[in-house]
Amino acid sequence: MAKTAEAVIAKVQPDRRVERRRTSLQLTGVAMMAPALLFLLAFVFAPMGYALYLSLYQSTLYTPQPVFAGFANYARLFSSPDFWQAASNTVWLAAGMMALSLPAALILAVLLNQRIRGRAVFRTAIFGPYVIPLVSSGLIFSLLFATDGGPVNLALQRLGLPPVNWLGQGRTALLSVLILTAWQFTGYYAIIFLAGLQSVPTSLVEACQVDGGGRCQVFRHVTLRALGPSLFFAVVICLIQTFQTFDQVYVMTGGGPDGATTTFAYYIFEKGFQAFNIGESSAASVLLILVLACLSYLQMRVSRRWVVEES
Amino acid sequence: MKPHVVWKATSYALLTLAAAACFAPVYWMIRTSLMPTNDLLSSALWPAHPAWGNFAAAWRAQPFLLYLWNSVFTNGAIVALQVVTSSLAAYALVFIPLRGKRWLFFAVLVGMMVPMQATFVPVYTMLSAVHLINTYGALILPYAGSAFGIFLMRQGFLTLPRDIVDAARVDGASEWWILTRIVLPNSKPTVVTLVLLNFVYHYNSLFWPLVATNTTNMRVVPVALSYFLTQDAGQTLQWNYAMAFDIFAIAPVVILFLIGQRYFVQGVAQTAVKG
Repeated sequence: MAKTAEAVIAKVQPDRRVERRRTSLQLTGVAMMAPALLFLLAFVFAPMGYALYLSLYQSTLYTPQPVFAGFANYARLFSSPDFWQAASNTVWLAAGMMALSLPAALILAVLLNQRIRGRAVFRTAIFGPYVIPLVSSGLIFSLLFATDGGPVNLALQRLGLPPVNWLGQGRTALLSVLILTAWQFTGYYAIIFLAGLQSVPTSLVEACQVDGGGRCQVFRHVTLRALGPSLFFAVVICLIQTFQTFDQVYVMTGGGPDGATTTFAYYIFEKGFQAFNIGESSAASVLLILVLACLSYLQMRVSRRWVVEES
Repeated sequence: MKPHVVWKATSYALLTLAAAACFAPVYWMIRTSLMPTNDLLSSALWPAHPAWGNFAAAWRAQPFLLYLWNSVFTNGAIVALQVVTSSLAAYALVFIPLRGKRWLFFAVLVGMMVPMQATFVPVYTMLSAVHLINTYGALILPYAGSAFGIFLMRQGFLTLPRDIVDAARVDGASEWWILTRIVLPNSKPTVVTLVLLNFVYHYNSLFWPLVATNTTNMRVVPVALSYFLTQDAGQTLQWNYAMAFDIFAIAPVVILFLIGQRYFVQGVAQTAVKG
C-alpha cells in the first residue's frame, strides 16, 4: 500500500511543479494584458455600455435627474427627417467612394505593380494625401471650391461658364466633400490593393500566360480572383470610414447647408455636443456601433485567418 | 506599335495624371500662401511677386509653436504609452498559453472597431467627473490602450520563431526579460510602424481634441486649423495666411512620411493582407 502511495506521489510531484509554473505563467500573462485591457475597459467598453444606458433616458447635460424613457429616443430618431438625411448622406458618400475611389485605386495598384521607372516616386505622390490631416485638406479644398477666387470657379470662368456656389448648395456641397475624401483616401486603397496584388503567386500568372492568356485574361482569371479578400477588406473599411466621417465636414461645411452634408458621426456630434440632447445622441451612437459591429463581423468572417491563424 | 509599348506609355500617362491630381491641391496651397493680400482673387498660376512675408505674418498671428507643442507632447505620450501597453498585451497573446485567449483577442478586435465618435459623450462625462476636461490628461488617457496597437504588435510577434522564446524560458529567463531583451529588439520594424502610424493618426485627428478642450492654450494643431473657417469665416478670411499656417501644420507629418515612408506603406499593407 505504502509503496504504491509513494510511487503515486513521486509521479505526481513533478506534474505539480509543472502545474505551479503554468499557473504562475498564467498570472504573468494576465498581468501583462492588464494595462491595455484596463484602458480599453475604461475608455471603450464601459463607455459603450454607458451610451446604451444613456440612450434609454431622457436627459441633457443640465438636467440633474434623467428620466427613464424606454425606446422613446430611438422612436424620435426614426421619425426625424434630419436623422434620415444624415443616414442617406452617409450612404451616398459611401456609394460615391465605391464608384470613384475604389476603382481608381485598383487601376493605380495594377499600374504600380509592374517594373516601371520612377515607381517609388509615383507611389509616394499617390499615397501622400493619406498622411495629410483631414482638417488641412478640408481647408485646402474649401479654397479650391471657394465661390470667389477659387481655382475651380476660375477655370469655369475661363470656359465661359457661370461660377458655382459649391459649398453653399446641398448637392454640390456633398459632392465637394466626396471629392476631397476620394482625393485623401484613393492612395490608401491603392496600397491595400497593391499588397493584395503582390501576394498573387507569379507561378499562376505564368501558367496562365503559357496557356496563351493575354493581359486581360490573366487579370480576370488570376489577379482579380486572388484580389478577392483585399477587395472585400477595402469595401468594408470604406464603409467604416464613411460612417465616421467628421473632420472634413466640420471644416468645409459645418454639416450644412440645411444638413445637406451632415454625416452619421456629425449628427451624433451635433445632437450631443451642440444641442446637448444626450438621449438622442446616445441612441444614434448605439446605432452607429451596431452598424460598425455588423461590418466588422462580416470582415472577420471573410478573413478568418485573423482569429484562427495560430492554433 | 507593339502592344507592349502602348501599354507602357498608357501606364506612364495614367500614373503621371494621378500623381498630378494628388499634388495639384498641395500646389495651390503653396501658390496661395505666397499671394500678396491685394491679389487674392487673381487667377495667376504663380504670384508675380511672391510675398514671403506671409509666412512671418501667419507665424505672428497665431502661437503656432504652442499648438505644435500641445500636439507633439500629447501625441508623443499617447504613442509611448501605446507601445508599452500594446507590446505587453501582444506578448501575452502570442507567447503565453493563456486560458480564454481567443476571447481576449476577440475583445481587442471589437475595441478596434468602436470610434470615439460613438463614445464621446460617456467619455466626456467620465473625464469631467474627475475634472480632467481641458487638460493634457483628457487628450492622452483615452488612447493609452490601443486595440489597433495590440493587433499590429501581435502580427509582428507572430513572425518571430517561438523556439527562441521557449529556449530562453527553459534557461530560466523571466517573461519581462524575454520581452525586453529578445522579442522587442527583434521587432523594431513593427514598433517603428506603430509609432509612426499612430503618431500621425493622432496628430491629424480633430474630433476628440475639439470636444475635450475649450481654451486657446490647450488647442492642438487640427483644432487651431479648424478655427480658421468656423470662427473667422466670411469675406474677411485671409486665404494666403490660412494656407501659410496650413503649411506649418502639414510640414511635420510630411517630413515624418518622407523619412519613414517604408513603414507607413508596410503598416497599411500589413493590416490588410497579412491580417
